[in-house]
Amino acid sequence: MFNKVLIANRGEIAVRIIRACRELGMQTVAVFSEADRQALHVRYADEAYLLGPAPSRESYLRGDKIIGIALKSGAKAIHPGYGFLAERADFSQACQDAGLAYIGPKPSSIAAMGDKAVARATVAKAGVPVVPGTEGEGSLHDDELLAVAATIGFPLLVKATAGGGGKGMREVHNLEEMPALLRSARREAEASFGDGNVYLEKLVEGARHIEFQILADTHGNVIHLGERECSLQRRHQKLLEESPSPFIGDDEDMRQRMGSVAVRSAQAVGYVNAGTIEFLVDKDRNFYFLEMNTRLQVEHPVTEMVTGVDIVKEQIRIARGRQLRSTQENIHMNGWAIECRINAEDPYDSFIPSTGRITHSLLPTGPGVRVDTGIYPGFEISPYYDSLISKLIVWGETRAEAILRMRRALEEYKIVGVRTNIPFHQNMMDSHRFMGGQFDTRFVEERFSMEAAEEGKTTRPEIAAIIATLVAHQQTQRAAHIIQRGERDTSNWKWLGRWERLQR
Amino acid sequence: MKYVTTIGEREYIIEIDDERHILLDGVPYEVDFDSVSGQPVYSLLLDGQSYESYVYSGEEGLQVLLHGTLYPAVVEDEREKRLRAAAGARVAERGEYYLKAPMPGMIVAVLVNEGQTVDKGDVLVVLESMKMQNELKSPKPGTVGRVRVKSGDSVEQKQTLLSVV
Repeated sequence: MFNKVLIANRGEIAVRIIRACRELGMQTVAVFSEADRQALHVRYADEAYLLGPAPSRESYLRGDKIIGIALKSGAKAIHPGYGFLAERADFSQACQDAGLAYIGPKPSSIAAMGDKAVARATVAKAGVPVVPGTEGEGSLHDDELLAVAATIGFPLLVKATAGGGGKGMREVHNLEEMPALLRSARREAEASFGDGNVYLEKLVEGARHIEFQILADTHGNVIHLGERECSLQRRHQKLLEESPSPFIGDDEDMRQRMGSVAVRSAQAVGYVNAGTIEFLVDKDRNFYFLEMNTRLQVEHPVTEMVTGVDIVKEQIRIARGRQLRSTQENIHMNGWAIECRINAEDPYDSFIPSTGRITHSLLPTGPGVRVDTGIYPGFEISPYYDSLISKLIVWGETRAEAILRMRRALEEYKIVGVRTNIPFHQNMMDSHRFMGGQFDTRFVEERFSMEAAEEGKTTRPEIAAIIATLVAHQQTQRAAHIIQRGERDTSNWKWLGRWERLQR
Repeated sequence: MKYVTTIGEREYIIEIDDERHILLDGVPYEVDFDSVSGQPVYSLLLDGQSYESYVYSGEEGLQVLLHGTLYPAVVEDEREKRLRAAAGARVAERGEYYLKAPMPGMIVAVLVNEGQTVDKGDVLVVLESMKMQNELKSPKPGTVGRVRVKSGDSVEQKQTLLSVV
């Protein structure tokens, strides 16, 4: 049984895990790269150790060093968070070999679900529907993929075998453009995961992305915590999630059918700990298994808000060999939760990443608001890691209340120093299609633009004009002031006297 | 002090009498304007109405982010306005364009060679930052001038990568 946990991650998720450990009375060990000496997870943990230089490959991906630090510090368990070493069977195995508890699934489950081709073959055998693709065929060469593409049909997706988060993913519309897209997908997959293997999958059009959170303990209990709607994505990166899904709504029958398929998928690989089954749902409400994420998800808070279950604490309890605290009958979804991912990206300049020092940050607070973040004023956003800097989550009794609460929270949230996508979320909250729940995975890219969103909205250009003029006026005045600075307002003798007094 | 401030197509005449009083297109308003703890976040009380906004300085003027809407603004005093009118339209797609790195990162690929002709919108360079590959495109048609980077190079923000003549 462990009482000290090493968190093999950074940013908001490392902070989230440290909080869960603290509330359970556990000691925490942070690891950090040279770029993260000032990071919040280093400041919040009981102990912190340097891993190496800023690039992930030399720091957060160094499983060997991390295990070494765990052994040296006496941490008996490792929580991988998401990204980096999460979903790496070899790392989970190495922890086990070193006598450390891995707060996550067994290596065999990660391996089975981690190679998405094997995953699809496994769940298909358990009677779970899957999307057509190069399932169960291992790592194919470009010429083999090109040959099989025609049988799947276009449009299709090239996806990274080791991937997630849209990295190494490309959409292909015809055979001619496929070789070039395969090359860039492999290049990006290699850079992100150290594994350039890819597979193909039919693109379901008009699809919604709905996922189910599951929890499984070592005593054979598996439950689901309902669904999350994750259809709002850009370049296959999720931007906003909510629970429940407005598409499933009060179709309790569909929810239970999908939930039991999710539970069956997890059981097919003997799954233990927290995991997520992702489904694609077409407009006729058919659902297909997409993949299983064998880790804690970025968007887990929306499920926590509606079910009241602390998923990270539950993960730790499961890893300590405890039984689940809830049975399926005890799980009820109460109200509605929405999460906006706040990224350091400029929504007015094709979402280009923005780096720099956070000079000011004012967090939204008040009823029903939660912020999970790893940044604070003075912290430097570096180009080495992904652009997620904060997650803003709200709860409301109804979806409408949650949207209105999110609007006011977004207006309150001030982050200065880098550009953020907060205005994107503000426009999304004002979008009639979003309010009506009428969106699919293509909505952000194909039918939503910052300019169009602002049409018909009450704008106040005259107020903006006044503010711009007052700022420009102040700047001119200050510039005039700086030029005059050489002229001291008192005599040089007086000035010298003050100077000398300062030096005493 | 009298300013002409342009937002989109619309021009506003704004006169600043003193710290507390302005005229917007001839209509007087009482103002109380201050930055929030020295940050580029400003609080404006305009006849008691409260507004808060971010103001960014860009190469082409100021950008005001108010209630989730971004307003690019050009503020000129009367002298500047007259000078610009005399010089004619702003330099648009004429002249040399220098492609600068919009953020620090690593060059993944340089897709053009010196002397190559490019169209507006053609991808010039692929830059990786924050694990995302970003395609940097040509804003104008022209010929590629000197290419100053190669793939694998780490670049700083605003570093010049190449030019399009």
